[in-house]
Amino acid sequence: MSTAIEHAPATPARGYFRNPWRKPRILQGVTIGYLLWSLLPVVIAVIFSFNGGRSRISWQGFSLRWWTQDPTDSLLRDEAMRSAMAQTYKLAIITVLVAVPLGTLFAIGIDRWHGRPARSANFTMLLSFVVPEIILGVSLYILFTNLLQGLVPLGTPAQAIGLISFQLSYPVIIVRARLLSIGPEYEEAAMDLGATPSQAIRRILLPLIAPAILASVALVFADVVDDFVTVAALSAEASSETLAQKIYSASRASPTPEVNAAATMMLITTLLVVAGGLLFYRRFSRGQSDIATTDFMQL
Amino acid sequence: MIGRHPMENRWSRRQFLGRAAGGAVAMPSLAAILAACSKPGENAGGSGSGSASTEIPIATLENPVELPVTMDTIAADTPIESGPLVLYNWADYIHKKVVAEFEEEYGVDVEITTYNNMEEGIQKVANGQVTPDVFVPTVGYLRRLVQKDLLMPLQQELIPNMLASVWPSYSDPGPYYDLGWNYSVPYTIYTWGVAYRRDRVSDEDLAAQGWEALWNPEYAGAISLYDSYGDTIAVAILRNGSLDVNTGDPALIDAAKVAILETINDHEARLTINGVYAKLPAGDFTVAEAWSGDIVGAQWYLPRGTGTDVLGYWRPEPGQTMIGNDTLVVPAEAQRPRLAHEFINFMLDEQHGTDNFVNWNGYQPPFVSIQPDSLIDQGVVPENLSDAVVTEEMFADDLTPIELSPEVEAMWLDAWTEIKAGA
Amino acid sequence: MPEIETSATHDERPRRRLWRRRASVDEPGGASGAWYPRWYWPSFVAPGSLWLALLFLLPFYVVFSVAFGTVDFENFGAPVPYYAPWWWSFDTFNETLSKFYEGTAIYRPPLFRTFAYVFSATVICLVVGYTVAYFAARSATKYKGLILILLISPLWISYLMRIYAWQGLLDTDGPINLLLRPLGFGETNWLEGMHVTVILGLVYGYIPFMILPIYASLDRIQESLLEAGRDLGASGRQTFWRVTLPLSRPAILAGIVIVTLPMFGDYYTNDLLGSTKTSMFGNLISTQREQQGGSTRMASLVLILAVIVLVPMLYYLRETKRAAEQA
Repeated sequence: MSTAIEHAPATPARGYFRNPWRKPRILQGVTIGYLLWSLLPVVIAVIFSFNGGRSRISWQGFSLRWWTQDPTDSLLRDEAMRSAMAQTYKLAIITVLVAVPLGTLFAIGIDRWHGRPARSANFTMLLSFVVPEIILGVSLYILFTNLLQGLVPLGTPAQAIGLISFQLSYPVIIVRARLLSIGPEYEEAAMDLGATPSQAIRRILLPLIAPAILASVALVFADVVDDFVTVAALSAEASSETLAQKIYSASRASPTPEVNAAATMMLITTLLVVAGGLLFYRRFSRGQSDIATTDFMQL
Repeated sequence: MIGRHPMENRWSRRQFLGRAAGGAVAMPSLAAILAACSKPGENAGGSGSGSASTEIPIATLENPVELPVTMDTIAADTPIESGPLVLYNWADYIHKKVVAEFEEEYGVDVEITTYNNMEEGIQKVANGQVTPDVFVPTVGYLRRLVQKDLLMPLQQELIPNMLASVWPSYSDPGPYYDLGWNYSVPYTIYTWGVAYRRDRVSDEDLAAQGWEALWNPEYAGAISLYDSYGDTIAVAILRNGSLDVNTGDPALIDAAKVAILETINDHEARLTINGVYAKLPAGDFTVAEAWSGDIVGAQWYLPRGTGTDVLGYWRPEPGQTMIGNDTLVVPAEAQRPRLAHEFINFMLDEQHGTDNFVNWNGYQPPFVSIQPDSLIDQGVVPENLSDAVVTEEMFADDLTPIELSPEVEAMWLDAWTEIKAGA
Repeated sequence: MPEIETSATHDERPRRRLWRRRASVDEPGGASGAWYPRWYWPSFVAPGSLWLALLFLLPFYVVFSVAFGTVDFENFGAPVPYYAPWWWSFDTFNETLSKFYEGTAIYRPPLFRTFAYVFSATVICLVVGYTVAYFAARSATKYKGLILILLISPLWISYLMRIYAWQGLLDTDGPINLLLRPLGFGETNWLEGMHVTVILGLVYGYIPFMILPIYASLDRIQESLLEAGRDLGASGRQTFWRVTLPLSRPAILAGIVIVTLPMFGDYYTNDLLGSTKTSMFGNLISTQREQQGGSTRMASLVLILAVIVLVPMLYYLRETKRAAEQA
């Protein structure tokens, strides 16, 4: 990395752009420092999942104790931890399956329909995007334990509903940004050639926005896996506790590196999902990887 | 009658159903809104009482209470249900190995569900969000649980170990909060005291300080108090020289609050849940407010190579501290009541209960067979923790935290809110 | 701009006339030229709107009903909500509100702390985030992909896990103190309720959400624009202040709002890295959950928090609307 920067002045035309503050090393230094700072805890978390002792800061030798070997407290044998991971994935999948289609439809509709109701729907959607999670989580908890008591039990149903409400805006924003850059011309052309509206959407529009949909899938999935506030506010018995909750209670009680092992496992799977999403994305966007990254960055 | 929104009249049925997400969610909620016509809480004789027609008084040592039995116990010959048994418990409050033995013996699964604080546990049981077969409430909630018909009276024939293992006083006459043990059996007993690191404070020094150790600037940054209002305010009251641990006196509560804020702000005391059993052994704390069970359990959290003799527990003279117990009960909505009775009986079995205590949990069951001397002789409890062993005589002298009346409870909570807000 | 009929009156109009009506003839940016039945696009929006109405707006009403209701102590302090506005009682709400300004004002310190923390954390997020985003977008041509992946990667492991790892690193005898010991800071109790720990924790948690939009906007700026600025005689510094920065202004605003709003409701960062001395507004709310009869006060606090964040929220929504209109 450093060589690229140090040789920068050799190509003056481009070097100039790299040099707005005269000292690119400051930029570079800050970035490297930031990356180290941001990645350090992740690396520590992963490494210490292989710690032989129960400490999370002093290294006591390499072992798979917290992954497979410990009879009660390893990821493989601890049913509570496995159920927490299963619950995390379950919620992530349900949320993706509901929020992404709902959000995509919403984005298409709102992009083409400009009536006053559309504006208030859009306003509500944006509101749900920016409202602090604790407000929504507590509100839904109060809703489900009072007005809708007995209808929506806390646990998976309530958690899924809460997450969908909170995540719905993500696909809307991503897909809509994509739609804005596409414009209606392609569909119109298709319909001029005799396609019905639904054919135009299925055959023309959907493939065009597929990358954005995939980006939403990856983002919503990762975000749900990460979620704590909503899930904790709406959980019921232990079987509805997710990994984030386990980490939270472990950090206040008696943590073992098993927590690290579980988090590492989640990291790996999330990375796989995201990488899979990106691969698909690149194929759909025909190698325009810049679009892929920009869509991810849109949030 | 609540006025209908003018728009409703214009909705066609189809529109209405469409807006109501298939009707399933909105119809009942609309009904709930309509039910709010009358002012809530003022109708139907208040929502406060269940079928227990009379108000059960708050139990105190002076006025023990027999909780009324308003529903049938299960028949003694009820067949044992197949699992899973749902146990609703504090986190880290039962030895997984003992649970595994129960699973094996009965060929069932046990699902352990945990709550982070009693409030959460009670709420979820009360509004049906969790339907456990066995529940572990603190005694202060038993009266209202029975009042609300949330507990199932025990079929005592199915719990022979209550008579075989447990101190006789728990069945005859029974504890002050549940005379005749109609609804509960004791799970663990414990006292309140100060846990400390003997490698940093000598026994004599600590004993001379007593509660004051938690206010000693020498240990600044290494003092732990429980993040639990009932415990910590009561300890502060004791430290301030009063024995009125259930006080409704605003001056005492205020003084306790001031004292707690003082040690937090001036001596960096921390409010924790794991301070005694996890962080004291790790060396993070020097002194800590402690339940006796936590310090016994702490020996399993010591770093390798550290001897148990670094742990110490001080409890005041008899009559100067609090003593209490937690209970096992069967909720009225339990799906597997017979299996629940089996589980309770299993935990009261001398061997299993002792195993749970000495090999992991650290919390002592009130068993006749458990004698302080033998525990120490066998090395189960290190000698330096001998004060952590609870004996039956202690119950005669020591103070007991009881259920607070709503007004008093509100005063305690206000004080606690102020502490938690970091004022 | 002609008015479009609201959905409530749709079905009173004859269907056939609506069919084949040019749906958005009045909307210049809309699907001009396409022929759709009147109900076509609204039907796309309906499911999502319905969901939000039922599960986003309705809960707010229930929060009002609980905040303006009472509690039943015999029922373990469960709330007794008053759904009908004419029964609303403002006792608990007023009492909660008065704790922000009356007498000892016990809620005021957490409120002020929250403002101070959110402000400091946002400033740090902006300065560091802009620098990093700028470097990634403008300078790091060759390693752009790698840097991007590294920038995003912390997001793929649970936030709590990362804060939890910090908890270990900042322990009194943890690695950070070990490193600082030679400098004479080795005995710092980072987790004893230090403002700086909580602020850095917040920065750590939310800064990616500042970097990403700024990066996206900087990445979109055409090099030709900057070249033009240079050709017209501006120095590198001038180009930055006159061209780059104004062009990234919407992204900066978006970033500020996106990191600020959740910080106002954050409580777990302080739970893991702070103490009661660093309690924030979110902690006030989460504490009420653990208390008997706390739900009414909790609902009141949620309403107060909602009012506090309403201003930045509305500002953001206005800005996005403006941006959308310009697009």
